[in-house]
Amino acid sequence: MKSRIGTDLMATAKMFVRNKGAMFWTLAFPIFLIVIFGAIFSSTGTGSYTLNVQNLDHGPLSQSFMDSLNQTGVVKIVMVDPSADPDTYIKDNSVTNFMIIPGNFTQNIALNSTATIELRQDRTQSAANIMASVVGQVVNHYNLNLSGGKEHIAIHSGSIVTNNLTFLDFFLPGVIGLTAMTNCVFYMQGVQSRYFATGIFRKLSTTPFTRFEWLISRALWQTVVVFMSVAAILIVGMLFFNVHITLTWMSIVLIIVGGLMFTGLGMILSRFAKDEETANAAASAVTFPMMFLGGSFFDLSASPEWLQMVASIMPLTYMNNGLRDTMIYGNDAAALFNLGILAVVAVVFVVIGVYVSKWTDD
Amino acid sequence: MSETVIEVKNLIKNYGDFRAVDGISFEVRKGEVFSILGPNGAGKTTTVEIMECLRKPSSGEVKVLGFDIAHQQNDIRKRVGILPQDFNTYDLLTVKENIDYFGVMFDRSIPTQELLDAVNLNDKKDEYFKNLSGGLKQRVGVAIAMVNDPDIIFLDEPTTGLDPKARREVWEVVKDLKRKGKTVILTTHYMEEAEVLSDRLAIMNGGRFIAYDTPRAIIKEHGYGTLCIIRSANDKAMQLLTATGLSVKRKDGDVEVHMDDKSSLHKVVEVLQDPDAYYDEITVKRSSLEDVFLKLTGKRIEDDTGAKA
Ligand SMILES: Nc1ncnc2c1ncn2[C@@H]1O[C@H](COP(=O)(O)OP(=O)(O)O)[C@@H](O)[C@H]1O
Ligand SMILES: [Mg+2]
Repeated sequence: MKSRIGTDLMATAKMFVRNKGAMFWTLAFPIFLIVIFGAIFSSTGTGSYTLNVQNLDHGPLSQSFMDSLNQTGVVKIVMVDPSADPDTYIKDNSVTNFMIIPGNFTQNIALNSTATIELRQDRTQSAANIMASVVGQVVNHYNLNLSGGKEHIAIHSGSIVTNNLTFLDFFLPGVIGLTAMTNCVFYMQGVQSRYFATGIFRKLSTTPFTRFEWLISRALWQTVVVFMSVAAILIVGMLFFNVHITLTWMSIVLIIVGGLMFTGLGMILSRFAKDEETANAAASAVTFPMMFLGGSFFDLSASPEWLQMVASIMPLTYMNNGLRDTMIYGNDAAALFNLGILAVVAVVFVVIGVYVSKWTDD
Repeated sequence: MSETVIEVKNLIKNYGDFRAVDGISFEVRKGEVFSILGPNGAGKTTTVEIMECLRKPSSGEVKVLGFDIAHQQNDIRKRVGILPQDFNTYDLLTVKENIDYFGVMFDRSIPTQELLDAVNLNDKKDEYFKNLSGGLKQRVGVAIAMVNDPDIIFLDEPTTGLDPKARREVWEVVKDLKRKGKTVILTTHYMEEAEVLSDRLAIMNGGRFIAYDTPRAIIKEHGYGTLCIIRSANDKAMQLLTATGLSVKRKDGDVEVHMDDKSSLHKVVEVLQDPDAYYDEITVKRSSLEDVFLKLTGKRIEDDTGAKA
């Protein structure tokens, strides 16, 4: 016998495919974001990220290290006179990325101990992350080449980045989080308000199909939709902006759990507003601040403390942070922390959502 | 007398302070078409949705097929079919897909093809629901209501908003249901519909039943019987008619003669043969549910558009 959930899921899929508008927006919105931001980031131009390097080392290894940086094509190296005072230089020239290669660089590596390079950055610049990643990547490469991964070169103050990244890669997790949020919240709010208003819920409530089964079906469907958006993002990113697929298992779990959480939020929103328009406005009111403060577009670590406080109560923040942790920094432990928070919020939202959702008047 | 399938005793439903259903009692018998006729806001939907287990009564006792609506909702739900008021289903599924969908939702279902034939929708089966006319949509609703082969079918205002032709097509479907042995509970605010389709009916107003019997018995009890109307009759005609001893009334230019028995009409025609009696036409009119409603409430039932229904 056919299952009710499976049948509802199939019907939903059919209707989605037939609803050109819904399909368009599901795919177009994230693509739109990625294209806009891809254009903004890449208009800065490959190779135009300036890295000021003060090389205090005279050995061959520092030279070859800089050659490697050059070869990434992302970094334009400007040499700084070894006698210059770094602080003065940075201030006078408004430098955003400044690297110091210590005098003992070649020697330390030759002696098989660790050479620490110093990377000073203006973290309020979006390019800071990119530069850090490029340097980190080259360093990593070096460490791997020099005797199987022992850490010969360390970066002083900077994230170690494991993947081979482009500019847009940093932006990608935020777009995925944002898309999951808007998709799930608006879809769930919309479909619940509409089915209530048009009487489809009333008809469904005359059958043995339960509200709970229906919600499972729609939550599963939402997951499918979110992954369709993610696929759209990745495909466009790869074709036009040279993005690298960085979907890890952890990121997949994060997307599923985050999607469920936002689905639960949508369920709650549609219930507390009397009619479709109010519910829609409520969904906008909830998602709009998260769009900007959830860390999808801007890194908030340099913003005022109160703003960071606000961000810390936004579920999207944890989704974005978790996705960045795993997709960019390869730090699954940190991602797991964010996943834990998301999971708890998801359970709370879904339980409340199931509890408050109604199909009939009284 | 045949078996009782629905039993309602002292049903009351309050919405806050407002009493929408005010202590009604009735029963529905197996195989009959039972109608609840009343204007908007009378409490029809509230009453049927309580029987359908979609709303909870404030007090009273309701049994459907012997099951109590308070405790045995699942037993009831499996055995009844429901066309809700303002029925709607998935716009972007075809007629056939919609019926298939609801078939799966119930544990037992009759084949979709059989249902399509039953409501005469076979040539529309691949159309999207959203592209159907109002009458066809209602027929899809009836097909879906039949999908679990129910013993009782509730049709809440199945013809509201339909044009007269579509309305009559729905009537045919209702008659078919009766022929198949289904018990049908129908709500409507169309007098003629209730009169044509119902075996028995209740007239509902302000949450109460103001009449409850077969259409014929209700009309007999509350109606004025049969009238013979002589339009634009002159005074000579009036004089002659009065002389017959029948109950005669002048109304504007017309004369209304109450038909006491079968011979009354004969008498009227006979006296009007007098060459000095002038009139335009003679019509005979039986009183209708409309007249009953007017008499009992002092109002007419108005339909959606404000025109007389
Ligand atoms: N959920 C509800 N809450 C409050 N009042 C309601 C509700 N449903 C119906 N009513 C009121 O109860 C009365 C009867 O409504 P209803 O049963 O829909 O009548 P009908 O179907 O005969 O038009 C109306 O006055 C209506 O406004
Ligand atoms: Mg109604």
